[in-house]
Amino acid sequence: MLKPRLGHENLGLGVGLRTVHFHHILEHQPEVDWFEIISENFMDSAGRPRHVLEQIADRYPIVMHGVSLSIGSTDPLNREYLKKLKTLAESINARWISDHVCWTGVAGRNTHDLLPIPYNENTLTHLVKRIRIVQDILERPLILENPSSYLEFQDSTMSESEFVCRMAEEADCGLLLDVNNVYVSSVNHEFDPVKYIEMIPAERVVQCHLAGHTNCGTHLIDTHNGQVIDPVWNLFQLMHQRTEGVATLLEWDADIPPFPVVHEEVLKARKYMDENLPVRDQASKEKTVTSPSSTAIPHPASFIVAEVE
Amino acid sequence: MSNESRNLDQLQRWMQTVISWPGGVEAGIDSEAAQSEIPLESSELETIVTASSRQTSLERMGIYANAYYARLLECLSEEYSALVSAMGKTAFGAFSMEYLQEYHPTSYTLCDLGAHFPQFLTEHKPPAEENELNWTDFLIEVATLERVYSEVFDGPGIEQETLLTAEVLNSIQPEEWPEVTLKMAPCFRLMQFQFPVHEFISHVRKGNSPQIPEQQLTCLAITRRNYVVRREVVSQAEYLLLSKLQQGLNVGDAITCLAESDLMEPEELGTKLHKWFKHWTTAAFFIDVSKQ
Ligand SMILES: [Fe+2]
Repeated sequence: MLKPRLGHENLGLGVGLRTVHFHHILEHQPEVDWFEIISENFMDSAGRPRHVLEQIADRYPIVMHGVSLSIGSTDPLNREYLKKLKTLAESINARWISDHVCWTGVAGRNTHDLLPIPYNENTLTHLVKRIRIVQDILERPLILENPSSYLEFQDSTMSESEFVCRMAEEADCGLLLDVNNVYVSSVNHEFDPVKYIEMIPAERVVQCHLAGHTNCGTHLIDTHNGQVIDPVWNLFQLMHQRTEGVATLLEWDADIPPFPVVHEEVLKARKYMDENLPVRDQASKEKTVTSPSSTAIPHPASFIVAEVE
Repeated sequence: MSNESRNLDQLQRWMQTVISWPGGVEAGIDSEAAQSEIPLESSELETIVTASSRQTSLERMGIYANAYYARLLECLSEEYSALVSAMGKTAFGAFSMEYLQEYHPTSYTLCDLGAHFPQFLTEHKPPAEENELNWTDFLIEVATLERVYSEVFDGPGIEQETLLTAEVLNSIQPEEWPEVTLKMAPCFRLMQFQFPVHEFISHVRKGNSPQIPEQQLTCLAITRRNYVVRREVVSQAEYLLLSKLQQGLNVGDAITCLAESDLMEPEELGTKLHKWFKHWTTAAFFIDVSKQ
């Protein structure tokens, strides 16, 4: 029998740590349950980002979320990268390390995007093998997130949810269930998001992501640029019922509002965690953008601009 | 070849080529590089990527292709905001496209994305007319300084180090000074420019749109204090002396180089030297002394 959340703690409601909020967080020490960092922004830093992170890690639990592991790539795993990941995790006492079910580049390149893989027996074997190697190096289970995707391959022979379930079981890893990604992909690929969530092995879900996205009319893009919409909250509620609660985090990466606004958005999750409370009130309405190509770009990672006096 | 057994490696190389092809998805599919992985007409894309009821397979590939350059361009624009202002958005976009094709992103971190941009601009500099400095030289200098700022900002610093104190310096006997060598701070950089690019960059970062400045020899000492990058203008004489000290020359030899340079009157030297060393110590340009 697996322990719920693979034995990890339910950290509560957290916020993705972003540079624009550094000052606010240090000054006001807001009552946030935990923070998630983008690992790549800190693993080589010897400057202010790292210095700020250390102060925040003294006060709050930290989870590391990566965007460049490229677990689905056919390139060899980058051992140097994994070593740095492990060192950072140890130095800030990261509760766990996550990345995505995707590939980011091949032939030595990094597209800095989370690219989809075909879901079939071959890719499943490939990922399971690599996850096991990574877990051996990191000496801890890897937590992998379902990505948002905008295309599907003819080479797929199973659904994403089936792939993710089998991958988690066979590699014995944890899952980061991004309910917004489930929703985005369900619209783009025309599947039932409820069935997806119902299929995920609840005890392997260690963390949940919430975010806003952009409706481009014919498809949705995972832009992390706004509030969580109602259908996504409903998926969150279903996930919550199935898992009995996991560490939940809001990602906001574009048009980032002041910290209290972001924090307030994730706190809305409380309404969906108590079955006795009515949850239908001011719905966050989704807007459809008319010229999506110029505005709707997913940004898995961000660049930190130098401060010069 | 059955769908499932199509090699994942081929598929990834093909997809990466197509979505990063500058001329768009169809041109990408037709390219030799993509054809060598998966020979395919763009009308046959659906044999690889499925269509949805609302989007064709070409449109779906287009989402990734569109995001590829847009994302990387946005990141470069953030690092090189003054260069964007100097060149204009369109020219910057065009240069970035070329740059990203010549220097493919390979690192796991976006911090490395713009690392070769100043070098790229230098390599693509139009042949100079009569050794005359021009706009391109200015652009290269702006890019160079912006990159140095990034590296100093996130690189090793001296915030956790014990700094040199006046007591340590005072403990050195006057006759010992010529033999002394100085250890520069790891974040210290000495740069020389033909234009006052530091001012241009500062104006842009304050939200202004400054004019391209007149040519003016500019020597800068750059370091980092309390996690913020600091730059100050130094005279040519200071620049020469600091650069000799940075090269590892002892104080005596460095001063000899300066005295022989005609950059200042010998009678001025004594008073200036004292003032300079005092300031450089306070500014933590060097963090240690050693007596040979
Ligand atoms: Fe996510």
